[in-house]
Amino acid sequence: MSSDPAPAAAAPAAGLPGLPPGEEATIVLRRVAKWYGDVVAISELSFGVAPGVTALLGPNGAGKSTVLNMIAGLIAPSAGTVDVLGQRVRGQPGLYRSIGLAGEQEQLYGSLTGREFVRLNAILQKVPDAEGASERAIAAVDMGEAAGRAVGGYSKGMRQRIKVAAALVHEPKILLLDEPLNGTDPVQRASLIALIRRLGAEGKTVLVSSHVLSEVERFARNVLVIVNGKLAAAGDFRAIRERMDERDHIVRIRCSDSRRLAAALVADPSTRSIRMGTDGRLTAETDDVRGFSLLVTAVAKRDGVRLFEVQPVDESLASVFSYLVSG
Amino acid sequence: MATLWRMLPVTTLTVRQFTGGRTARLIVALSLIPAIFAAIFAARPWGVTADEFLIELFRELIAPTLLPIVVLLPATAAFGDELEDGTLPYLLMKPVSRARLVLGKYAATLLVTIPALALGLAVTTVIASRAPEAGDLLRILAAMVGAAAVAAVLLGAVFLLVSLFIPRALLAGMVYVFAWESLLGRFLPGVEAVSSREYTLRVFTGILENDPSLATNAALTMGAVAVAALILAVWRLRRLQLA
Repeated sequence: MSSDPAPAAAAPAAGLPGLPPGEEATIVLRRVAKWYGDVVAISELSFGVAPGVTALLGPNGAGKSTVLNMIAGLIAPSAGTVDVLGQRVRGQPGLYRSIGLAGEQEQLYGSLTGREFVRLNAILQKVPDAEGASERAIAAVDMGEAAGRAVGGYSKGMRQRIKVAAALVHEPKILLLDEPLNGTDPVQRASLIALIRRLGAEGKTVLVSSHVLSEVERFARNVLVIVNGKLAAAGDFRAIRERMDERDHIVRIRCSDSRRLAAALVADPSTRSIRMGTDGRLTAETDDVRGFSLLVTAVAKRDGVRLFEVQPVDESLASVFSYLVSG
Repeated sequence: MATLWRMLPVTTLTVRQFTGGRTARLIVALSLIPAIFAAIFAARPWGVTADEFLIELFRELIAPTLLPIVVLLPATAAFGDELEDGTLPYLLMKPVSRARLVLGKYAATLLVTIPALALGLAVTTVIASRAPEAGDLLRILAAMVGAAAVAAVLLGAVFLLVSLFIPRALLAGMVYVFAWESLLGRFLPGVEAVSSREYTLRVFTGILENDPSLATNAALTMGAVAVAALILAVWRLRRLQLA
């Protein structure tokens, strides 16, 4: 069994990936690794997180939850250091006054009502007005109506929201949210995104994990991209996005006359390659998806070809991350 | 109830988990098993007095088997269930010392086991008293409840500790109860020295035969082991990793 490192003062974090210039880091990971036997979950991970919203982006199994659990002090790193507010979390329960975590686990105390669950968290956090704080947190996630029901009967979206309420009931400086939008409907999602943005604007450090690229765009500018336990990219979301857009994309087309459309498209410089499958579908490679899509529509209209489907097929997060890692 | 939550949140939560699930029902059901034997005895006494029946029942069934199982269920569930279903971070990520968490869970274990055992033993005694030639049954009841309470203090701490080390602590505990306490503990003299049954029976005999030193020495030994187990549990909880 590994023993925990003694609490220590953190070294300056300037220059760490993910930390905007001039910003003070509230979370710092230095050369962090985590392995389970022969399996390496996290490797040589270094980054800093400043107040505001930061997204921890990565495909399923990339190591996002492990990173969040290490920041929360639930897991000790096998190597390297994790500092929160300048201190090591493990072995210092007092630091949890400043940290809130809505983890990935779905299970809650099934026999408690939502209100009791949030209040229990407030009491354990020694919040002076536990009742008032609980009601405020419940209202913040729009769970007022369902708070009197046992959490055992909650839907996944409701569980997510009540977990977020419990994590923020003591108004922590650091809020760690592990895939908080999973299982939520569009209205709940919009509400949670607004809450995340508001908390970030209030100066709290909100670190939110997600594997959905389009989702992250809505609440975070600063992004940490993790793939296979390594930091693949860090910094401004738009800059990363632009980098992603520079790579070749694959677009699948189904139409009434594949040969005619392919002949017309291959002449355009935005088409890197085009081939026809046995089912008559076209698979094109382009470095400009938007421009190519407009071109396909225009050419089809001009040549009298009916389009049934124009679909970019490699927009999954995994392919984007693969590109980032190889780049 | 709200005051209890505020004063003893971990204990109150754990008792709610026991009473909300099947743990509490199982504990009560198991505690009442001796009452079934008492009912059979009261209906057709087989040539022994009620005193002799109760003493034998405690020595042969309650102390070696039933009592450890009744304590085993909540003691291993207190942390074990939360480790299994992933709810433990809700407690660990709080500015609460690990010692308070362990003591809160331990208190909950004792709060459900000791009253259930006392109830089961009282019902058993009342039923046995209906047989002819019942003697000083109140004294026997006091000895049984006293010994059971001290045993719960010891076993509750030990099983709670085990649940922080072994994922299937309930299974391991069952093997221990049936193999060590119920079987080997009876026949191998060396095993007796490290058997909770032996010390439980010393407390029982000490109270029953008005021998305070016998009961006190056994109870102190059991208490010391319980304290050591709780200290180890706190140490373990501080180092626990939730993979």
